[in-house]
Amino acid sequence: MRPLRFALAQGLLLSDALAALRAIGVDVSGITPGGRRLVVAGGEIEFVLARPSDIATYVERGAADLGIVGKDVLLETGAKVIELAELGFGACRFVVAAPREAVERSLDEYRHLGTLEVATKYPNVAERHFRARDIAVEIVKVSGSAEVAPLVGLADWIVDLVATGSTLRANGLAVIEEIASSTARLVANPASYHLRRREMAPLVERLATWAAAR
Amino acid sequence: MNRESGPIAPPRGFRDILPTEARELGVIEQTLAETFAASGFTPLHPPLLEYGTVDPAKGRRIQFLDSDGSLVALRPDLTTSVARLVAGRYRDMTGVLRLSYLAPVFREEPALSGGSREVLQAGVELVGGGGSLADAEILALLVESLERCGLPVCESTVQVGDIRLLTGLFATLPDDARGEVIRELRQGDIAGGLRRAGAAGMPADKLRRATAALTGVAGGVDGAGVGEICRVIELARDRWPGSAKGWGAPNLALLPALPYYTGIVFEAIHPDAGVVASGGRYDLLIGAFGEPRPAIGFAIDVLQLHRALFAESWQPRSQRPLLLLRASVDERATMRCAASLRAGGLAVAMGDVAERAGRAVIRAEVIDERLVKLDDGRVAEAAALAREMGP
Repeated sequence: MRPLRFALAQGLLLSDALAALRAIGVDVSGITPGGRRLVVAGGEIEFVLARPSDIATYVERGAADLGIVGKDVLLETGAKVIELAELGFGACRFVVAAPREAVERSLDEYRHLGTLEVATKYPNVAERHFRARDIAVEIVKVSGSAEVAPLVGLADWIVDLVATGSTLRANGLAVIEEIASSTARLVANPASYHLRRREMAPLVERLATWAAAR
Repeated sequence: MNRESGPIAPPRGFRDILPTEARELGVIEQTLAETFAASGFTPLHPPLLEYGTVDPAKGRRIQFLDSDGSLVALRPDLTTSVARLVAGRYRDMTGVLRLSYLAPVFREEPALSGGSREVLQAGVELVGGGGSLADAEILALLVESLERCGLPVCESTVQVGDIRLLTGLFATLPDDARGEVIRELRQGDIAGGLRRAGAAGMPADKLRRATAALTGVAGGVDGAGVGEICRVIELARDRWPGSAKGWGAPNLALLPALPYYTGIVFEAIHPDAGVVASGGRYDLLIGAFGEPRPAIGFAIDVLQLHRALFAESWQPRSQRPLLLLRASVDERATMRCAASLRAGGLAVAMGDVAERAGRAVIRAEVIDERLVKLDDGRVAEAAALAREMGP
């Protein structure tokens, strides 16, 4: 059987993920953040580096056995993976935000026109949220910088992922509602988890203990 | 290229199965049918369409409105169809039923996810049988079916869990909190489920036990009450008396997405193909359509099993070669020669065959009604050739 394959997200989560793995005694010396090698073999674990939103896909389809990925990605992709431990880092929140000055006006408009336009990079999370709240919206999918949308008249509100909220404030937006909070998760492919639990269990236990002690 | 007729590739999530693969699948299907029949299971054929009233696939159905306005769906699952059929047609026959099927089911998959929307299932349902003996018989039949097809079954191949034991881990929680925890576990969120259990006031020692059962080393959870699972596995292994075969791993984290299981659950998993088969006890499902009856069954995903066998360098048992007969000028003699070869048990095609699906061919030329000339120059009589090449 091939070594356990562990998918890690490049970008914000990577240094925290590497620190966590190092802390529980996993050799991650082959991985250089920002490096060009995307598959790092060696030892009992093979690492694959990918974009955060692809980690869930890799693990869901069994291209990787384990992964560290934000709950935000799992919520948006709906990937069928097993979430084994909450790791605590990478905290952020899905929020609904609107121009600070114009919240009342947009609500008036909603009563008048019967619908709101919402720009977001996370259409699934946004749609699920507004459907659960029985609010009629039109979702406008953008690939980046949703916070600009209300400023230029692309949409009334946005649904975005925020860590500190400073980007929202800088663009004159205020949080109307929090949808969900997110931290990094240790996830596994379901079939692989059941088949190779003996190998994975020590990693899961040590990572959970490490996260609980922080 | 003339594309007026529309796209040539099938719709997303569906694919053509070409003769080579179809031949290999045929070998697997035949083996499974024989294995099921040898344990007394009788094939039946539920319809392709079902009313959209019961939805085990939770919104993953391919459904549409019938011309009379009723909501119908391509069946997402055969167990539910069999349950409906049993509740209706066997209302008055309260004895044990042993039913089997080989048929496709259809499930919606998100676009661009590479998921297949058609799944070919071969399975059995034992209706009316309760207790460990029925559990063990079905579990053993699954292992036997996979092995007879040629899949090596090792210790971790068959994972066995139990919904009652899993729910029992959270017995101290109030009903609604326990329901929420199980719902999260069913979605794969073990970490979230355990956090919720802790927040709902589960005692620390119980929480540790549940954590060990769900995320600890499998099998090493005797304290968490997997004894009952082990007993069923032991009993199932007695299907091969005296054998030292160590298949079967107790695993309480096994919780299928299908919601109707009530007792033992199991999956057969292959490192390359993933989940090849799954099943379990569903004592309440038939009750959704009529009188409740205990039942247990499994379904093998035939295409995944084929993929697993392929990864194990499996070769289907070889077919006898096909004799390609070149016609002589006497067309009547050609017809009669082919007939006498076929009567002798040979597979004969007149002329050529472009798609041979991996089958070996032998070429021969018709000399007269009884004689052919093989390509190596040898002249053989139909009856003798049939004896030489026949089955």
